[in-house]
Order: sequence, then structure tokens, then C-alpha cells
Amino acid sequence: MTRRFTLAGAIVSLACLAMPAVAEEHTIGAIFPLSGTNAVYGDVFMSGADLAVEHINADGVLSGPLSIAYEDSQALPQPAVVAMTKLVNVTGVPYTLSAFTGVSKAISTLATRNSVVGVNGGGVGPDLAELGDYFWNVIPLANLEMRAVVPFLVEERGLKSFALVYVDDPLGDAMHEELETILPEVGGELVDSFSVPTTAQQFSGVAAQVRASGADVVYVASYGNQQLQIVKQLRDNGVDAQLVAYSGYAVPDALALPESEGMIITGQGVDFDSEDAVTKRFVEDYTAKFDRAPTAYNVNYYNAVLVYGALAAAIEAEGGEVTGEALLEARRATESFDLVGGTVSFQDNGTLLFPIQVKEIRDGAAHALTSVTFD
Amino acid sequence: MLAIQLAITGLQTGALYALTAVGFSLIFGSTRIFHFAHGATFVIAAYFFYGVFGAGLGLLPSIAAAGLGAVAFGVLLDRLVYAPIQRHEGSFFTVFVASFGVGIVVQNLIGMVFGRGFVTVNTPLSRSVEMIPGVYVSPLAWIAILCTAIFLGALQFFLRRTHTGMALRALADNPELVRTFGLNPRMIAATAFAVGSVLVVPAAVITSATTGLNPAIGHHVMLISLAATIVGGIGSVSGTMLAGLLLGLAESLALLVVDSQWTEAVTFAILFAFIIIRPAGLLGRATAH
Repeated sequence: MTRRFTLAGAIVSLACLAMPAVAEEHTIGAIFPLSGTNAVYGDVFMSGADLAVEHINADGVLSGPLSIAYEDSQALPQPAVVAMTKLVNVTGVPYTLSAFTGVSKAISTLATRNSVVGVNGGGVGPDLAELGDYFWNVIPLANLEMRAVVPFLVEERGLKSFALVYVDDPLGDAMHEELETILPEVGGELVDSFSVPTTAQQFSGVAAQVRASGADVVYVASYGNQQLQIVKQLRDNGVDAQLVAYSGYAVPDALALPESEGMIITGQGVDFDSEDAVTKRFVEDYTAKFDRAPTAYNVNYYNAVLVYGALAAAIEAEGGEVTGEALLEARRATESFDLVGGTVSFQDNGTLLFPIQVKEIRDGAAHALTSVTFD
Repeated sequence: MLAIQLAITGLQTGALYALTAVGFSLIFGSTRIFHFAHGATFVIAAYFFYGVFGAGLGLLPSIAAAGLGAVAFGVLLDRLVYAPIQRHEGSFFTVFVASFGVGIVVQNLIGMVFGRGFVTVNTPLSRSVEMIPGVYVSPLAWIAILCTAIFLGALQFFLRRTHTGMALRALADNPELVRTFGLNPRMIAATAFAVGSVLVVPAAVITSATTGLNPAIGHHVMLISLAATIVGGIGSVSGTMLAGLLLGLAESLALLVVDSQWTEAVTFAILFAFIIIRPAGLLGRATAH
């Protein structure tokens, strides 16, 4: 009896091995702010990622359908860790999208420990480039943005004294350090800096201090609704210095704010008029689907999903299993990726390098002033 | 000059804190309902104003819409949520959880209707002008201080000089005695919710033009209201009013001595100090248990 069962088991096992590969469903994770004061970003991020899923599935890039399991981080580290734990242990994803510096840093430990790839397309804290092999960035980080805009303001605009209003979290702290480093190198000076809690909404007192500092430039390093409140209250309270912000400010609500007029912001340079097939398809389909022009954030999460599609397809082509380890190995073996914005490569630290544009907000839109390329 | 500037800024902030906090204190003091959804009342008033004003219907209809929205929400919440729970011997904690839940529902509904991003009412009244060298004050700051004086003065008159106001104070002291005098405690409670809700309207309208709005702003309003109610003395409307002003001033003037990231903590440092040193609050009555 036992021998007969053993034989039957062996036959079934052999039959399974001999069967052709069946379509495998692919699920990747995404930990975005879907509620709370930063939920507006979640909608922006999802629109890019969802479009990439549509394109990958329509093109039959993978052996089976691709889908995204979304979890809500509220842009806070603690809920993000809970979400990452669920995605890793319950959903079993090999690849997870993340956003916000604090969130990305919080989940990076779990990503490394479980060999799951985490990909950031929204946080720009400079130290996100140092979170290990399993944490990648498809967005240029804030150190590059600062290194593009600060020399421009000091050398070309003659604005030498800076004040910094920064959020009291890993992003703000990193940007504070970066500004303290860069300014002396280019002949500028940080005359004052003001750290504000992540939950603060009242900045008229800070505005009074900023005004008293006499700075030529006020750099705002916050995100979400708070950065808009800071800008509005600075202007309302008589601060007429040049206001500057990083790419986090390039959201529709911020660009439409009357007080944003004349602000200088930075962001990755993406040529939306490019004729390359990937960019053209993205721009056309995004505009048609969402009835608005895409922004860099839409591009980043579209690209992040495209990267997964390309790597997973390469692994499947070689008959391998799509795991975090395999994705990392495949990325290292892939010299370049055709993404929105052109053909790009990952640096050794897992961060994509894009040129940085310095832009000015006029009439509710950001217009490029100059573009800076880094090696 | 910086100290004068911060004092004026603090006064404006404190005036708005006082208005919202007094509304909560009045409701809590007279009904003993921990109306956590008071923050949601603020959000409703602010977004009703924003919506109607944005539709181009003018200032007065927008303020009227904000007032109607706030009062209707407060009174209906009392009638449809709090009263049934209390009829079924619901505990203080049950009422609190229900109120908390309503606050979250309102936040999400507002987010669905108006979006979850930052919105603001654009008006030249929010732009500061230089009064004396180095001191900037916006017309809205004066309006905020004036509104607070008018509304809180009217409230004091209402509570001390009208029968309904006296009934409200009586309800806080002894609900059974109120019944003995033939008054209906439920009707008086509804009045408390209506008056308490109206008080957030000027603060909500002014905030929509100064700091701007997002659906989650109610939590901050509620925290400040709670802190001011405790610091002022639970049940003391005058104490809460003073505490609101004190917290606004302290938050602003703290910038002279501490880093900007600690200004919010100042509110809670004052709260803890009162809890430890003077638990009855500024004008509250000490009780022995």
C-alpha cells in the first residue's frame, strides 16, 4: 500500500515537472499615503503606477497578469512598517514601491532582512541612497537638487544669504545638513534655520523670525499640505525674499497657490516632448486617462513599475523564479533601461541619475530656467 | 520689535483658539458629553464657507452657510448619536468613541467632496501691512480679535442675562433640578450644541483665509480646545477663553526663547504644568472626591 502511494506520488511529481510553465500572477506592493494630510500624494503616485500596470499587462510582458497590492502609510513610518510586514509576510511580494523619506527608511530594514526590493519614487532625502542593496531610488535625491539650485541662486542671481524652514524629520534634517555643506562652497551663507514639527500648521511666528533674519532666499524643505501653509503664511506675513523649494513642491495644489508665483523649484528633468516610444506612449495615455499633464512623480512610479516588468520578464525568460534576490541580480546585470525620460542606468548605490531642472513658477505652472547634469 | 510682532501674532492665534475652545468647553461643561467631533464642526464650517465663497455667492451667504452647517451638524449629532447612546445608558467612553468615529467619517467625507489637499480662500485681507517698522499686521488679525471680543461678549451676556443661558448653566450644575423646574434637559443640551457650534464659525472662516484648510485640520482644533478647556478649568467658559488666549500667546512668544520646533510642545508643557500644579485650571472650581 505504502509502496503504491509512493509510486503514485512520484508519478504526479514528475507529471508536474514535465508540464509546461503556467501563467504566473505577479503582485508587487506599494506603500503610499492613502489617508491623512499627505493623501493627495497617494493619488498622484498611484496614477503613474497603475498606468504602467495597464501597459505591461496590455503588452503581455510577463507570463501572467501584474497587479499592485496597495497599503496605506499615511506618510508615517510606523503604519508603513505594519504595511511592509503585511506585504512581505502575508502577500509575499518580491518588490514594493514606497514614498517619503521617513517611510522609505523605516521599511528599508524589512526589505533587506527579507530580500524584498523596495523602490522609492517620491522621497528625496539624500541618505536614501545608503539603505542597502535592496533599496533603490528611481528619483534623483535632494542633494542633487540643492547642488543644482544653490549655485544658480548665488552665482547667477547674486542671492547669497539663505534662511531654511525645514520639517523636523529625516528629510528636513538631511536637507539642513546638505545646505550647510553646499552654501560655503559657493560663497553663500545660511543666516538662520527654523525646524518645524511635522504636524505644525501655524507659521506666522516663524515668518516674523524669517523676516527679521533679512535673508535673500528662504528655502522651504517640507512636504504635503504643510509646505503650502508655510509658503502662504510667509508671504502673508510680509516675507518678500525669494522662496525656493525642492521637487516635493511640484504638485498641482502648490503650483496653483497664488503665493507660489515667482518661486523657484527644482525637479528631475523629464523631456515630455521627447519622441522616444516609451515617453510618447506614457504622455499620450496619461493625458487621455487622467485629463491632465503628467508630473515627475507620475513618471517615477510609472518607471518603477516598468523596471519591475523588465527585470521580471528577463528572469522568466531564463526560467527563474521572480524573487527579490533574482530582481537584484537581474538589475545588476542590466546595463540600461528604456524608461520615460530616456535610456537610464542605475548607479552602484541603486539610484537612477537624472538631470535636474531649475524652474520658476509663473501663472500656475513651472517653467524651466536651466538644466544641470551630474556625472 | 520681534517681541511685539510675536505678541500680536500670538494674540491673533489665541483669539481663534479661544473661540473654538469655548465652544467645546460650553458643550462639555453643560452636557458632560466629550464632543470630540467639535473639530469636525470646525471642518464643516470652514469647508461650507470655502465651498459657497468659491462658488461666488458672496461673503455673507458663505458665512451663513458655514453657520447653518455647523449648527445643523452639532444639533443633529446630539439628537441622532449622543441622545440614543445616553438613553441606553451608554457610558462616557461609548459617547467618546462614537464622537471620535463621527469625526473620522466627516474628515473622509470632506476629503471625498473637496479633495484631500490644501485649500485656501484668497483675500487681500490676509496680507500683512507694516504698522510700524518691523511690525506687520494683517487686517484679518484685527478682525479675528474683534470677532472674538464680540462673540465671547455676546456669549457672556447670553449665559448671564437670558433664561436659556441660565438654564444652560443650571444644566451643568444639576440636571435633576432642571427637570424639577419643568425644563427639558434635552432641549437645553441641543441649545448648548447650537451655541457651541456657532462659536467655531468665525474661527473657521478666518482660518480658511490665514492658515488654509485640509480635511484633517479638525484634530489640531480638538487638541487645542481640549488643552484650553483643561487649562481654563473644566466648565469655566471664562477660564477657557483666557486659556485659549494664553496658549496662543505662549506658542508665539516661545519663539523668543526656544527653537521653532518646540512651539507646539509649549502648549502641552503648559497643560501638564496646570495638571500638576493647579488641576482645577485657571478659573475652575476645585472639587474633592
